Amino acid sequence: MVVDPVEPLLELIDVTRSYGHGDAAVAALRQVSLRIMPGDFMSIMGPSGSGKSTMLGLLGCLDVPTEGVIKVGGIDVTSLPDNERSRVRGDRIGFVFQQFHLIPHLDAASNVGTALLYRGLRAKERHERALAALDQVGLSHRHDHRPVQLSGGEQQRVALARALVTQPSIVLGDEPTGALDSRNAEHVMELFASLQSPERAIVLVTHDPNVGAAARRRVRMRDGEIVEDETVTVAVP
Amino acid sequence: MNRMRDLISVAVAGLFARKMRTALLLLGPVIGVAAIVAAVGLTDSAKGDLKRKVDELGTNLIEASAASSFGGEDAKLPKDAAERALTVTTAESVSSVLEMQNIIVSPYEEATENFETVPVPVLAADTALPNVLEVDMIAGRWLNEFDEGARSRSAVIGIGLAREFNVLPGEIRSLLLNGLEYSVVGIMDNVELEPGFDTAVFVSYAAASDDFLDDAAIEDDVVLPNKLYVRSVEGREDDTSEALKVAINLGGPDEVQTELKSEALELAAQSDRQLQLIVVSMGLLAIIVGGIGIANVMSISVIQRSGEIGIRRALGHTRSTIAGQFILEAIAVGFLGGLLGVAVGVAAIGVGVWFAGWVFTLQPMLVPLGVLLAMVISVVAGLYPAARAARLEPLETLRLG
Repeated sequence: MVVDPVEPLLELIDVTRSYGHGDAAVAALRQVSLRIMPGDFMSIMGPSGSGKSTMLGLLGCLDVPTEGVIKVGGIDVTSLPDNERSRVRGDRIGFVFQQFHLIPHLDAASNVGTALLYRGLRAKERHERALAALDQVGLSHRHDHRPVQLSGGEQQRVALARALVTQPSIVLGDEPTGALDSRNAEHVMELFASLQSPERAIVLVTHDPNVGAAARRRVRMRDGEIVEDETVTVAVP
Repeated sequence: MNRMRDLISVAVAGLFARKMRTALLLLGPVIGVAAIVAAVGLTDSAKGDLKRKVDELGTNLIEASAASSFGGEDAKLPKDAAERALTVTTAESVSSVLEMQNIIVSPYEEATENFETVPVPVLAADTALPNVLEVDMIAGRWLNEFDEGARSRSAVIGIGLAREFNVLPGEIRSLLLNGLEYSVVGIMDNVELEPGFDTAVFVSYAAASDDFLDDAAIEDDVVLPNKLYVRSVEGREDDTSEALKVAINLGGPDEVQTELKSEALELAAQSDRQLQLIVVSMGLLAIIVGGIGIANVMSISVIQRSGEIGIRRALGHTRSTIAGQFILEAIAVGFLGGLLGVAVGVAAIGVGVWFAGWVFTLQPMLVPLGVLLAMVISVVAGLYPAARAARLEPLETLRLG
C-alpha cells in the first residue's frame, strides 16, 4: 500500500480510555497522543497496569476510545461503524499475539489464509499468497502442518506470516516473544527486524527490555500516560 | 460469490473439524425427521393395497337409484333413464339394471327346497353393464342383443355364485329361476365396486319381462329400471352426480339418489389420520427438542471457540461474517440431518413393510419437506448462538498483554 510518507500511518489524538461509569470510572489511558510514522520500528514498554494492553487494543482498532480520535491512514476510525472499522483493521493492521492464537483445526497455510477470507479471492490464490507469506518466515515446507504439530517458535512464525499476508502498513506485536524460549525469541525478533521498510511501521508492546531495546523508537508508559518517547539512532540488537 | 464460498468453506471446515460435536448436532434433526417420515410412510403403507385398488378401479363410477319417494316402496326410474343420463355431457357411459324380488334361484330342481331360504339377487340388465363396471368375464359371454331380441332364457352369474353352484368355466350348465330353466352363458369376474354382484344372476330385460315382472314394472312394453351405473369424466364426479338427479327425473332432483361407488373404498383406504397425527406430533416434538439441543451445543461451542472468534475479528472479519459462519453451520447441520433423517425414515418404512407385508408407500413431498423442516429448525436454533458469537468483543477473548 502506498502512503504519503509525511502522513502518519496511525495517530492517537488526546485519547482517553476509561472503564466504568461516573464515580467508579477508571481511566486506563489519559489524554494520550501518539503518531506512528512509516518506517517506525517502535516498542511500547511499561510495567503491568501502565496501560500497554489498552493502548494495543486502541492501536489495533479492537477498541474505541472514551474520548479523543484515532486515525488510521488519515481515516477517523472512532466514528466508523463496527463493520467499517473491522475492514480498516483487516486491511491495514497485522497482529502477532503472545499466545499465537492459531486456529487449531486448520493447517499452517489455512491459518495464514484466514486473514485473506472475504476479500473476493479464489481459494487457489489465497493458498498461493499464504504459501508466499510462510516462505517469508521460512516455513513454507510446514504449510500442511497443524498448530499442534509445530513448535512454539514455528507457531509464532505462522502467526507472523498471517499478520504479513495482507501486506498491512502496521504490524502490531503483543509480547511476541513472551511464550518462546530465548533461541526462538531471538529468531522471531530477527524476523521482525527484517520486516522493517520505509512504508511499514512495526510496533511491539512488551515489558521485556531486550525486545524493547531492539526498536529504534522507544515509548515508555506509566499510569496510563506516555512518559517517554525517544528515538535512538542505532537499534541495539 | 467468492465471499459466500469462503463462508461456506469456513462453516463446513468447522463442522468436519469437530466430528463428535457435529454428530451430536445431527442427532436431533435425524431422529425428528426419521420419526415423521416413518410415521407418515408406515401409516400410508398399511393402507397401500387399498389405495392401489382405488387407483386401479377408478373413482368415477356413479350409482343412480330410484329413491323410495318416487313410487312408493318399489321405486323405479323412468323407462328411458339411461338415455336421459347420457344427455349429461360429463357422463361417459351408462348401464341400467332392475333388481327383482322374490325369485328363487337353485342349481337344479332337487335343490330348490334348500335354496328357498337363500336369497340370491336376480337382476335384469342391459348389454352395457360389464363395460360400464369395467369388469371382465371369467368364462362365456355377457348378455347380448340376441338374448334380448330372441327373449332367450340366458343368464350370466357372478363368480361367487359360480363357486357356490360348482359351475366350472366352460361347462354347459343351467340353473332354475322360480323353477324356469335358464342357460348359464357366462361367468362374470369379481366386481370390486359392487361386491353384491359376485353372487348375483343377470338376465335380459326381455326374459325378465316374460317370466318375472308384472304390469307395474313395465311401461309401453319397456321394463322400468331401478338403478343406473354411470361412468363420469374423471374429476367431474360431483357435477355429474348432481346433473344426473335432474336429467334422469325431469320432475325434480329428490326422486333420484346418487352414490360414488368408490367412496367407501376410498374411505377405507385413508390412513389412520389420528394415529398419523400422534406419531407426527411426536416426531415434531423430537425435532424441536433436537433444535434445543442444537442451540445448546452451538452455544457451548461459541464459548469454546471464543479464541477463534476473537482472532477472526482481529483479522478483520466483521460481526456479520462471524454470525454467517454459525448460521451456515446450522444450515449444513439441518440439511445433512434432514437427508439422513429421510434416509433412516425410508429404511424404517422398508423394514416395517417387509415385516407386515404391506405395500411400500411414500409421499414424494415428504423428502424435500423433511429436509426443509430440519433446516428451518436448525437455523432457528442457530440464531441465538450466532448472535452471541457476533457480539463477542475480540479484546475480551484475546487476553492481550
